[in-house]
Amino acid sequence: MRLHPRRLFSRLLRSRQVEGVLFVLPYGAIWALFLLWPVIYGFYISLFKWQPLLGSEFIGLKNYANLLQDARFWNALRNTFWFAALAMPLIIGIGLLFALFIWGSGRRRGGGFIEASFFWPYLLNVSIVSIIWKWLFDPDFGLILAYLRGIGLDPPVFLNDPLWVVPAIAFATGWWLAGYRMVVFRAAMEDIPDTVFELAELDGANPVVRLFRILIPLLKPAILFSLVLTAISSFRVLGQVLMMTDGGPGRASEVLALYLYRAGWQYLEMGRAAALGFVLFLIILVVTLVGFWVIGLESELGGR
Amino acid sequence: MARHTPSLSRMARRPRIRWREVQASLEMAALFSLAIVWLVPVLWMIDTAFKPTPEIFTLPPRWIPSRFTLEHVLEVLQDWPFLGWLTNSLIVAGGSTGLSLAISTPAAYSFARLRWRGRNLLFLVFISSMLIPWQVNAVPLYFLMDRLGLLNSYAAVVLPISAMPIGVFLLRQFFVNFPGELEDAARLDGCSSLGVLVRIILPNSIPAFVALGLYMFIFAWNEFFWSLIALQRPELLTLPIGLKALQGAHDIEYGLLLAGAFLASLPVLLVFLLFRQRVIRGMTLTGGIKG
Repeated sequence: MRLHPRRLFSRLLRSRQVEGVLFVLPYGAIWALFLLWPVIYGFYISLFKWQPLLGSEFIGLKNYANLLQDARFWNALRNTFWFAALAMPLIIGIGLLFALFIWGSGRRRGGGFIEASFFWPYLLNVSIVSIIWKWLFDPDFGLILAYLRGIGLDPPVFLNDPLWVVPAIAFATGWWLAGYRMVVFRAAMEDIPDTVFELAELDGANPVVRLFRILIPLLKPAILFSLVLTAISSFRVLGQVLMMTDGGPGRASEVLALYLYRAGWQYLEMGRAAALGFVLFLIILVVTLVGFWVIGLESELGGR
Repeated sequence: MARHTPSLSRMARRPRIRWREVQASLEMAALFSLAIVWLVPVLWMIDTAFKPTPEIFTLPPRWIPSRFTLEHVLEVLQDWPFLGWLTNSLIVAGGSTGLSLAISTPAAYSFARLRWRGRNLLFLVFISSMLIPWQVNAVPLYFLMDRLGLLNSYAAVVLPISAMPIGVFLLRQFFVNFPGELEDAARLDGCSSLGVLVRIILPNSIPAFVALGLYMFIFAWNEFFWSLIALQRPELLTLPIGLKALQGAHDIEYGLLLAGAFLASLPVLLVFLLFRQRVIRGMTLTGGIKG
C-alpha cells in the first residue's frame, strides 16, 4: 500500500525518531557552528603560517615543532603550571576550610553574614578583582606592603618581583574563587545524614577523628570533582594576569593564554596562536581524563 | 532529699552549658573577624573610591578620609561611557541567558524524555565538548565571526556562550527526575510532545530555570577573554572590558580606577543583597561547574 506523500510527511514528523531530533536541532545547530566547527577549523589554521595581512602558507606541523624550540613557550608553560599548582590548593583549601567553619557554626545568628562575605568576591568580575588587588599590592602605597612594613618586615614587592608575581596573582585568585567552592562543599556536607555524626559521637569519636575519618572521606567525591574543575580553570588563566601585570615583570608571569592572545592579536600570527590553543586544549584534556579516571565518574557523565 | 536531687544536678550541669556557650560565641567572634578580614579588599576599594587623591597616596594608609568626595565617581561617569558598558553587559548577559535557555530546554527534554536512537551517544558528544576551552576556539571563531559579519556585534559573544553544553546537561538531569505520571496522563489526553513540554514540564521546572539562568547570567556578565577579542569598538565594550580600557588609560590613578571598579560591582552587590539565599542556592544547584 502506498502512502500519499503528505501523509507520509506528517507520519514522519510524528515518529519518535524525527521528533526527538527536531527538539535537539536548534541547540545542535548553534553547537555545531560555534563550538564544533571552530575546533576543526582551528586545527586546520594551526597547520598554516597564517597571517591575515600577508596571506597564508601550508607548513604542516611546523607551528607545533616551532613551539617546542620556543623558549617563550616553555616559559609560558612553566608559569601556567606554577600558577595552577598554587591556585588550586588555595581555592580548594580555603573553600573547604570556610565550608567547615560555617558548617561547624550551625545556624547561629550571624552565620548568614559570614557566609555572604566569604562568597561575595566570586560575583565580582575579573577586572574588578584585578584592579583591587593591583592596588593592594602596590609597591609604594599598597595596603599589604604598608602593613607588612608596619610590623617590621621587609616584604618583596610582590607584583614587581619575578619570584613572587605568580604566587601573588594566585593568592588574589584564591580570594576571588574560594567562596564558590565553599558553597559547593557546604551543599555536599548537607547531603550527609546527621545520624552518621550522632553515631560517631556515641562511639566516642573526638572532633578530629570525626573530621578526618568521617567528614573528609565522605566529601572526597566533591573535593576530587572540584580539583578537576579548578585545574581546568587554572590552566586557562588570562584576565588576572593581563590586568595585574600584563605578563611582567619581563615575562615572569606570562601564561599560555596570554602568549596565545599576544601571538594572535598583537603579532598577528594566527597559525601559531591556533597551535598554542591546541596545546592548551591537550593539557586540559589530559588533566581532565586523569582526574575523571581517578574519580571513576564515567557513570555521572554517561547517562542512565 | 529526693526533691532536691533534680535541681542539684541541674546546678551541677549549668557551668558546663555556659562554658559551651562561651566557646560558641568565641568561635563566632573569630569567624566574624575572619569574615571582616575577607571583606577588607572590597572595603578598601570603596574607601579609596571616595577619598581625595592626596589621601589615597599616604603612608601609613588612612582609612578615615578627612572628607568624602565624589570626584572619582563623577569623573568615571562623565569622561567614560560607563552606562553604555553597563547596558552592553546587560544585553550580552541577558541575551546569552535567554538564548541558552530557549535552545537548551527542548534539547534537554528530548534527551531526557523522548526515546530515539542515538540520543545517548549524541548527548555524550555534547557533554564532552564542555572541555573545549575558549582559547582553542578563539582564533577560528574570530575568522568565523568575521566571515559572518558578526564581529563587533553582541551576537558574536551571545552565540558562542549559548553554544556551551552546560544548560543541556543541567536541565536534562532535572527533567530525567521529573515524575512520569503527569506526562503519561497528558499523553493519554492526546497531548503532543511539544504540548507536554510546554504545559507539563515548563511550569514545573521554574527552580531549574532560575538556577541555570543565574549561572548563565553570571558567566556571561563576567566573561573576559572572548569579549576582549570579539568586541573592540568602544561603544560595544562590556563592563570587564571597559574597566580594562579604563586601566589602560589611567595606569596608576587609583582613585579613578577603584571608583570604576566600585561602580561596576554595584549592580551585583544590589542583586546579591536582595536575593542572597537564592543566589547561593542557585549556585549549589548548578553543581560546581565553572566554564
